[in-house]
Amino acid sequence: MRVLPLVENEMLKLWKRRRFRLVLLILVGLIGTIVFAQVQGREKFRSKKDWRIDTQERVARMRNWVRQGRMPDTQKNWMQFEISRLQYHLDRNIDPEAVSGPLFTRGFANAASYLLLHLLAIVFAADVVSSEFSQGTIKLLLTRPISRSRVLGSKLVALLLAIGLTVLIGGCVAYLFGGLAYGFRGWGVPILTGFRQTAGTFDASGVRAVPLWEDVIAVFGLAWFAAAAVGAIGFLASVLLRSTAASMGTMFAALILGTILPRLAPTWAFQKYLFPTNLPLPDYYSGSPPPISGMTLEFSVITLAVWALAAVALAFVVFTRRDVLA
Amino acid sequence: MPLPHRCEKVLRVREVVLSAKNLTKRFGKRVAVADVSFEVLAGEVFGFLGPNGAGKTTTIRMLVGLARPDAGSIHIRGLDLARDFQGAMSHVGCIVESPDLYKYLTGRENLLHFARMLPEEAAARIPEIAKRVSLEERLDDRVSTYSLGMRQRLGIAQALLGNPDLLILDEPANGLDPAGIREIRRLVRSLAEERGIGVFVSSHLLAEVELMCDRVAIIHRGRTLASGPVRELLDRPRGPHRFTVRPAGVAISVLGPFAESGTAEAEGEEDVAVNLSKERVPEAVRALGAAGVEVFGIERPASSLEEVFLEVTGGETV
Repeated sequence: MRVLPLVENEMLKLWKRRRFRLVLLILVGLIGTIVFAQVQGREKFRSKKDWRIDTQERVARMRNWVRQGRMPDTQKNWMQFEISRLQYHLDRNIDPEAVSGPLFTRGFANAASYLLLHLLAIVFAADVVSSEFSQGTIKLLLTRPISRSRVLGSKLVALLLAIGLTVLIGGCVAYLFGGLAYGFRGWGVPILTGFRQTAGTFDASGVRAVPLWEDVIAVFGLAWFAAAAVGAIGFLASVLLRSTAASMGTMFAALILGTILPRLAPTWAFQKYLFPTNLPLPDYYSGSPPPISGMTLEFSVITLAVWALAAVALAFVVFTRRDVLA
Repeated sequence: MPLPHRCEKVLRVREVVLSAKNLTKRFGKRVAVADVSFEVLAGEVFGFLGPNGAGKTTTIRMLVGLARPDAGSIHIRGLDLARDFQGAMSHVGCIVESPDLYKYLTGRENLLHFARMLPEEAAARIPEIAKRVSLEERLDDRVSTYSLGMRQRLGIAQALLGNPDLLILDEPANGLDPAGIREIRRLVRSLAEERGIGVFVSSHLLAEVELMCDRVAIIHRGRTLASGPVRELLDRPRGPHRFTVRPAGVAISVLGPFAESGTAEAEGEEDVAVNLSKERVPEAVRALGAAGVEVFGIERPASSLEEVFLEVTGGETV
């Protein structure tokens, strides 16, 4: 028995339930709003100041804050790091804020991988198994001459496909809208990458200039990876809780915890092993400091991979063993 | 109830398509199904009769591999369900509890969906099966617009896709109107008689089982109380015969000796109830005639499921 027809089934159900179409609409609406708001804001802002002066002012302001020193260490580290990053751009006469369609696309992936893509991943994942339980169709699905693990496997593949498509379509929509607002060209612009923070200090040793498109691919790859990890964990929630609402709620709570916890309890080191803390991968890549000091891109990728694999393994064990009484 | 050609058929030796042995299922301390055994033959309709909550659906869940029995074994066409799930299930079509299908898909999309989970030739069977369950005209409408009867038929169509040797239907008459019930009954009988499918039907309605099934097992509180051909099991003496006679007083003394249990009792002014077997009714009528009693009617109220239980359990309360 081939797996492909089963994946086809799952994609059909995703599409016919309008979930997928809803997610596309959310993406279009959201990106449209962002671009509109940016253009409106920029219009007033742009004429006033030269970007150099602006950047220099930001650097000076942050230096001042750091000198005053009334802030937690993590925040101070972040400031110092941001100062060095801006200084690096200033030294080489590159506007750190100049926007083009491609840059907007990259910025979108960066921002979206904080919460948006993960929320969308959960919308798919929370439903993929539990809806079969709530509809009662699980009884039909599991009484075919097909092993349970194959049924679940096809659902996982469909889920990862849907998440991948969402990230890809999000990128395309962002490029379309960003291009309309800021111009479609600029894929080849050199961009600095490889900023890192090691032991609390800004490390520019790995910095190099790459064409923007290379950077965009990397950022989208990382955004997809993080969203897929969220999807895998949501998949487990869907198997365990057998209710769409319950698994969505649980996963949303986890995500929100991941955005709040590093701010409210920055000194609790253990949270770097929790999956929500590790999600903003593209941020590391583009040189922002990690939520908790000591975390690196590699660390977060590995932590997420472990979480995702463990979740999928547990989902399979539970799904193939448990009695279906729905 | 005349059942013309069913009895001869049972006599022929036929393949056992489903064999359940000593099935037991516990939920915590509660024993839902205890030591249930039965066999379903090819070409017969086997009734699984019991009140709601007797363990019927739990048994069915074990038969189709949704729940694991705590003890006992299930063989479908000789294949052990626990060892060779895919092999065993390739001979089974089923509806468990209710015909839940994807409401947001059309009937055809639903059938295609389940055909993709079967060997490739299944999809080619869709037109023929749709015709068989009289759904061909509504096949491209969404299931959410279907009546319950149509959903039930689509459920059966889905179960037939894999060309099964064993069909398992859970309460197929539930929620249907009399016409719908008749239609399902005719369909089930024809599947068994014409295609030789063994059909396992659960029900809490005695009348339905009497009309549809060849053999029956009665389940109560998770145990099978009795099993056998429908006529033997359900056609046994049930309630008392009620004679409408005039004068009642004389009739009571005439019918008294006929009573196989208790005595003849007056029920209202002209009705006398007495327990006696069908075979002795003509004799009783002759005796009444000889005594000058006028007989206006004799009836025997259909016994309820509870009464059958009382009988097979020998008086244990339901």
